[in-house]
Amino acid sequence: MDQLQRFKRQIRNHLLFILVADNAFMIVSAWYAYVHKHFSVPQTMVLSGITGFVLSVGFTILSTSYLVRPLQAIWQAILHISPDTAEQGAPNLQKLPLGKDMVTNLVSHIYQLASVMDAVAATTKAEQSAPSHDFIATNLPLPLLVLDKQDMVIFANQDALKYFEKEADDIVGKSVYSAVDMSFTNEHTFDKWLADAKANKPVAAQTWERVRINLPNHEQSELPLCDLAAYYNQGNPEGLETMLVFFDHTQQYGQDNQAMSFVALAVHELRTPLTLLRGYIEVFEEELHGKVTQELEGYMSKMAVAAQQLSTFTNTILNVSRIENDQFVLKLNKESWPGILKSTVADLQLRASVRGITLELTVASNLPPVGVDRTSIYEVISNLIDNAIKYSNGSDRIIVKSYLTHEGLIETTVQDFGVGIPEAAMPHLFDKFYRNQRSRAQIGGTGLGLYLAKSVVEAHGGAIWVRSKAGEGSTFGFTLLPYDQVADAQKTSNNESADIVRSAHGWIKNHSLYRR
Amino acid sequence: MEPNNTTQNEPQNQQNSPASASTRQAPTGVKVLCSEDEHFISELYVRALTNAGYTVTVEVDGLRGLNLAQSDQFDIILLDLMIPSITGIEVLRRLRDQTETPHLRAKIIITTNLEQREDIRENIERQADGYLVKAEITPRELVEFLETLPL
Repeated sequence: MDQLQRFKRQIRNHLLFILVADNAFMIVSAWYAYVHKHFSVPQTMVLSGITGFVLSVGFTILSTSYLVRPLQAIWQAILHISPDTAEQGAPNLQKLPLGKDMVTNLVSHIYQLASVMDAVAATTKAEQSAPSHDFIATNLPLPLLVLDKQDMVIFANQDALKYFEKEADDIVGKSVYSAVDMSFTNEHTFDKWLADAKANKPVAAQTWERVRINLPNHEQSELPLCDLAAYYNQGNPEGLETMLVFFDHTQQYGQDNQAMSFVALAVHELRTPLTLLRGYIEVFEEELHGKVTQELEGYMSKMAVAAQQLSTFTNTILNVSRIENDQFVLKLNKESWPGILKSTVADLQLRASVRGITLELTVASNLPPVGVDRTSIYEVISNLIDNAIKYSNGSDRIIVKSYLTHEGLIETTVQDFGVGIPEAAMPHLFDKFYRNQRSRAQIGGTGLGLYLAKSVVEAHGGAIWVRSKAGEGSTFGFTLLPYDQVADAQKTSNNESADIVRSAHGWIKNHSLYRR
Repeated sequence: MEPNNTTQNEPQNQQNSPASASTRQAPTGVKVLCSEDEHFISELYVRALTNAGYTVTVEVDGLRGLNLAQSDQFDIILLDLMIPSITGIEVLRRLRDQTETPHLRAKIIITTNLEQREDIRENIERQADGYLVKAEITPRELVEFLETLPL
């Protein structure tokens, strides 16, 4: 306000100077008139003095206020917009005697400028009080990776670097497939999903459970296990096409492994007495053969069979536990199927014969080599034959057949002529712990065998089925792939090792993730 | 995975193959070290192996078993994994350590009832000449397996 007052005074002083000069001029001119005309000196002086004074003062006051009021309005507008003096209020533009249009225009510009400045100030203030998005993403307590269109990592937050034990340079700017080595519990791996999403969907989301992060220099048991959530957004304007978030569940999933080791421990405890039982039964068989009655020798055979079944059962428990814990791994090798079938049937002949049953084996001569895990597939056949023996119900033959199907698959069937399966039970037959009412009452078993058989056959890439009629017996069948097909499938997924490793729902190395 | 039925050590096969039975060599004099702390099991194995013509030495303690094995007087070592003083895995490692055991003629066969994690198991199998789960085989089947070993 001082500046404005000074400005006012300056204008007034200048005008007063003009007034004084003007009066002096008038006095001089009056004096000049007196000398040459007829007014008395005092008359002339008073007249011209009063006239000049009144005119000058009036003019000065008017011009001062006329000149200053526009300035005042502008000044007030500025004061109004500045936060410290906002209480001064807005200028009254209606009462402006001079330059109203111009000043109104000017003031409206000032207000516009002020609102822009307010917006800037508000943004700045917001940025200062709330952390930036970058800051949040970087400090998010979850590993987060962002990929661009070429699956290149364009952002990895601090937790991701810590989780993958890498420096930013090792991840950012690299292909995600070389930056992170992950194993999945099924074949629907991240890279397959992403390729599919890119081809078919503008946006997509997917979560995988129990993804293992394969860190170098770590024991397998120490590797982190997590759930992986992926979000795909085609042509995202920021270039953030794919986001990956990892939820660490190592502790939770790790506990399952302890459950597994409990089973392993229990199996170990079972196996020691079992070893002894089988050993001493064998001693009896050797020492007493031909020296005791036929009846007693029959009992010994039955004991031997029972002990052998118990040992098979411990393996079933172990394998089911492995399947449940995603630790079940198959090693598929090129094998002669007739060879495996013959030796398995021969092993089970004893079990069948103690029940008075004959195993009949028919194998087609045109079977190609199969790609199987010998141990696991042995368990499948022996399980199916064991079931056939158990449910034979007095009938005396079981037929095992193997042949090539029209699709080029190797199909093997085990047919019995026993009790058959009630229709109501059929849909649940391969479920874990499923046993139908009648079989539970009459025949021993755990309800794990068929579940295991199904898991193993499916892990081999085959299928298992059953046909049955209550009272007429059942036929269980399963298919296997010829070795060439297994090997071809493996070649396309680029595995350099000789072993072909597959799993039930166990770990599948994300092979294409390995491609560098 | 069922431990004993892998391709290389499949006793059932040999058992049912008359060809291998007829070409079987008399193992008389072949020396076996049985590192086993379960007395009843070693009793069964000694009986079956002795009947088949093998000479068997039983050692309960892991460390003494290792020293015996290093004396290099055996053709076959049956090695249990859970034995007193040092584990079978440690014995195996030290027998395969070139600086500690520069020359070992004996075939090492792991005989165990222990369930291993897949990776540990594979590591053991790589170092050993055979891997048998005791509950999976009878003493006779053990003898049949040993007869297939190239000595």
